[in-house]
Amino acid sequence: MSSIRPGSPAAYWLALPATLWMMAAVVVPVGMIVWVSFWGGRAFSPESPLSLDNYQRFFANRTYMALVLETLRHTATMMLICGVLGYCIAYFLVVKVRSPAWRTVLFLAFVIPFWTSALIRAIAWVPFLGVNGVINQALLALGLADEPVEIFLYSRTGISLAQVPLYTLMASGPVVYMLAQIPPALREAAMTLKAEPVTVFRRVIFPLTLPGVVIGQVLVFLNVMADFATVQTIGGNKIALLPNLVINFYEGAQIRAAAVVAVLLMLCMLAGVAAALRVVDVRRLGAA
Amino acid sequence: MDRLPQLDLEIRSLRKRYGSFTAVDGVSLQVGKGQFVCLLGPSGCGKTTTLRCVAGLEEPDGGDILIGGREVTRDPPWRRDIAMMFQDFALFPHMTVARQVGFGLEMLRKPKAEVGRRVAEVLAAFEIAALADRKPAGLSGGQRQRVALARAMITEPRILLLDEPIGALDYALRETVMIELKQLQRRVGISFIWVTHDQNEAFSLGDHVVVMNHARIEQQGTPEEILHRPRTPFVASFVQGNNSFHGRVAGAERGLLRIAGEAGSFLVPGPARMAGSAASFSVRAERIGPAAAAHPNRVAVRCVTVEYFGSIRRYILERAGGALLKLDQFGAEPAWLRQGEAAEIGWAAEDCVLHDVPEEAAPASSAAPAREVVPA
Repeated sequence: MSSIRPGSPAAYWLALPATLWMMAAVVVPVGMIVWVSFWGGRAFSPESPLSLDNYQRFFANRTYMALVLETLRHTATMMLICGVLGYCIAYFLVVKVRSPAWRTVLFLAFVIPFWTSALIRAIAWVPFLGVNGVINQALLALGLADEPVEIFLYSRTGISLAQVPLYTLMASGPVVYMLAQIPPALREAAMTLKAEPVTVFRRVIFPLTLPGVVIGQVLVFLNVMADFATVQTIGGNKIALLPNLVINFYEGAQIRAAAVVAVLLMLCMLAGVAAALRVVDVRRLGAA
Repeated sequence: MDRLPQLDLEIRSLRKRYGSFTAVDGVSLQVGKGQFVCLLGPSGCGKTTTLRCVAGLEEPDGGDILIGGREVTRDPPWRRDIAMMFQDFALFPHMTVARQVGFGLEMLRKPKAEVGRRVAEVLAAFEIAALADRKPAGLSGGQRQRVALARAMITEPRILLLDEPIGALDYALRETVMIELKQLQRRVGISFIWVTHDQNEAFSLGDHVVVMNHARIEQQGTPEEILHRPRTPFVASFVQGNNSFHGRVAGAERGLLRIAGEAGSFLVPGPARMAGSAASFSVRAERIGPAAAAHPNRVAVRCVTVEYFGSIRRYILERAGGALLKLDQFGAEPAWLRQGEAAEIGWAAEDCVLHDVPEEAAPASSAAPAREVVPA
């Protein structure tokens, strides 16, 4: 049996292809974006002096600042809705569904929609949410509405409606994994120690699934923050969040402004992940 | 009825089914104050299900459970005056030992100061005070066992239910832990219901041993009764050191029954039985010896092997027909048989223990040939 020891030359050679790939595809482009975001002057060239002008201009604009807050608020809403829904679904699948066959069937029903691309799923929402869409026609047919509801499409509500089913799986998957790790005897032990079911959940089950909740929240956070496609498809041109601003600047050939927003977006995400890691040590997940 | 309050636990004809499988079938049991009861049986015999019904973790399909004279059959676990120790201890991985041990008191809404004081006392009593701030992942098997026990005992329940509580421990540790648990039980006077498949545990710990098989109680009584007076062929074969014989009642002589089977014809004490009806009896291995004039029961055997345990020397003997018998001799005495030698062994009529008439009685099994069953 041969083994490759950490620190041996072979280990470095094995790491080389991935390192080169990551350097070319991630590290260098990110470095360039950061660099461009500091370009001063008017010319778009590497000779530009470095300055904070781009950032100052961005932070001075109230509309942009409102957009940053709006993006964070929208993301927080999504994290809350997807988190609660995802936890409920995970709990139902792992704890309440006793038959393994049913569990598999329901889990597949839950997962299979996610095999389609996010963009296609976003587009598929349009015929549902439109003024003459499926939801409105159903509401009219049932007599629940007198006239078509217009806020579904091209609105924040519509974006939320489309994003919740997109991202609930991400919130729920890690929780399913953590819940499945908990031996049933723990729940029983707590009950024989006079804990009622709500207390068992609060004191035993939830704390043990907390790492899964946090990871799910990180996934939802990162994806919602980066999701320009759903916002553009469902929100039309009326609604924009930070990632859409990057596209708008880019299409308007304002590369430096686009770079500034991209850097800010990355910083928000890094801050979010760092905050999550302070709550739960993700690296220790397997050890529990 | 005035006896009821004296009982810590009473189970009346408990039944539990899982689909078409009957896990517990008509189990009745009475546990007096501060008794140490062992539920003993092979895996799948229903002992753990019975325990879980008492804990409230399974809902029985029939029968009643009374704890301290109070009917609790439909009560959830958190309303029963019990505590339970699980096979793998079921410690909460995210709580420190102190938190863990105090959990039961917290659930009883005791004031913080009292919880802290009691936890400190109990940790000291179980000699785990040094581990107070550790989490279960950092504990050895023996330490976990102590923590689990402390966590269960701190609420001073009426009954402690133990599901194979030392099965997860190293073999060397079990003996020590068994002695400690027995002493603890004596001292605190809480009833212990201890589920095990290990007869050494059951007989050395239990005041009262309940032998279960196929969802039913085969026999219950003191360890001495079970060991020396097995009432069914199952108990005789499950308990080590018995030789069982099967045959039919051939008649009565000198106040004894004559039972004739494939292995021979034997005189066995017992009440009158229908001539020709199937009967079985057992003889303990240490009651058999070289055939003597006084022995009415004799069998010709050949010695297959001799096992020497120090205190006893066990001969594995084969009789004509191939069935095996066991014979125990004091280890200090000189060996009287060697491997391959033939001999005649015998025993007194009063050393035979007649088994009860099987319930699903004679006619059905009458076609079965008489045979000998020797415990594994």
